[in-house]
Amino acid sequence: MAAKRFGGAGKSGGGDSNILAKISNSEIVSQGRRVAGDAVGVSKKLLRSTGKAAWIAGTTFLILVVPLIIEMDREAQLNEIDLQQASLLGAPAQRGF
Amino acid sequence: MADLFPPLATAQVDAKTKVDEKVDYSNLPCPVPYDEVHREAYMSLKAENFEGFRFDFSKGLNQKFSLSHSVMMGPTEVPSQSPDTTIKIPVAHYEFGANYFDPKLMLVGRVMTDGRLNARLKADLSDKLILKANAQLTGEPHMSHSVFNFDYMGKDYRAQLQLGNNALVGATYIQSVTPRLSLGGEVFWAGVPRKSGLGYAARYETDQMVASAQVASTGNVVMNYVQKISEKVSLATDFVYNYFSRDVVASVGYDYILRQSRIRGKVDSNGVTSALLEERLSMGLNFLLSAEIDHKKKDYKFGFGLTVG
Repeated sequence: MAAKRFGGAGKSGGGDSNILAKISNSEIVSQGRRVAGDAVGVSKKLLRSTGKAAWIAGTTFLILVVPLIIEMDREAQLNEIDLQQASLLGAPAQRGF
Repeated sequence: MADLFPPLATAQVDAKTKVDEKVDYSNLPCPVPYDEVHREAYMSLKAENFEGFRFDFSKGLNQKFSLSHSVMMGPTEVPSQSPDTTIKIPVAHYEFGANYFDPKLMLVGRVMTDGRLNARLKADLSDKLILKANAQLTGEPHMSHSVFNFDYMGKDYRAQLQLGNNALVGATYIQSVTPRLSLGGEVFWAGVPRKSGLGYAARYETDQMVASAQVASTGNVVMNYVQKISEKVSLATDFVYNYFSRDVVASVGYDYILRQSRIRGKVDSNGVTSALLEERLSMGLNFLLSAEIDHKKKDYKFGFGLTVG
């Protein structure tokens, strides 16, 4: 772009805008612009659908898996305490019923 | 995490001894009642999710007699005209109940603040004949209904006759065909909408799994499978298909029964995921948490409750 400007400075003012207009109206530039627009649109849609999928996966994981992990942890802790008590007292641990 | 792995070695030993025994066709076990053919699957897949706050208190006055008080506050859904929007109206009510439990007689009654009365009776008329009755009375005219069931338990079969008001007559029969397979059928005739229907059910169970299927002339086909992975864990899956209205729903769920809690979770093909957690805080005190998310309709329901006694 800088080279074009220097080159354009050497020519007359009318010819300068003519060349720039010809370049910007040419086939390649307009195709490039269309592809760039499409790419932006596709990436926006991709971002939105990834966001939606992440939300669905995240909330489903939160509802189905997190309470399960918490409860299984507590069960493991309880088992550990029972094991410790059994090894300490030499007898099966008493259930607090 | 060790509960997730099944005890493979013992299962193989049990299977070998069972195959060696010859099947004694004159000594088959009694099958489960026809209404409970899908019992194990519905324990994990049809958990009672609720929305709002729930408090249940039951007190035993006697060895056989007990009273219960229950308070429920929360939004309830009202059927709306358009299927997209759901209308929820906050509702609160109190329910008083009395129960009488005897080895031969069971009476349960419940009264709600909006005037509804629900009564259940189960009496052992003889060793093999059981009478069950269920009545719901409301203040609105023509909305009360009652149903009487006579169950006969034979050596390897069960038969049931059902009579309801509004001229409802039904009969079911289920028979054990092998020690593991039982087949049954039902027939009913409803007087008010002048409909009659037929249905068949089959149930195959082993120590580790239960598979059952049911077809009805209303167009419903239900198939489910439950696998017991260990003493504490079982997984269930369910497939419902209606061949008139072409509705299909498949769901997968789990049921973890731990020492101090019980968790049931389920995912649906309608985009609904729900979970119910019951935790024992101390003797007789249970804490309930329920969650249900409907991703398609964007409907979120959460509830918590306490059960005492």
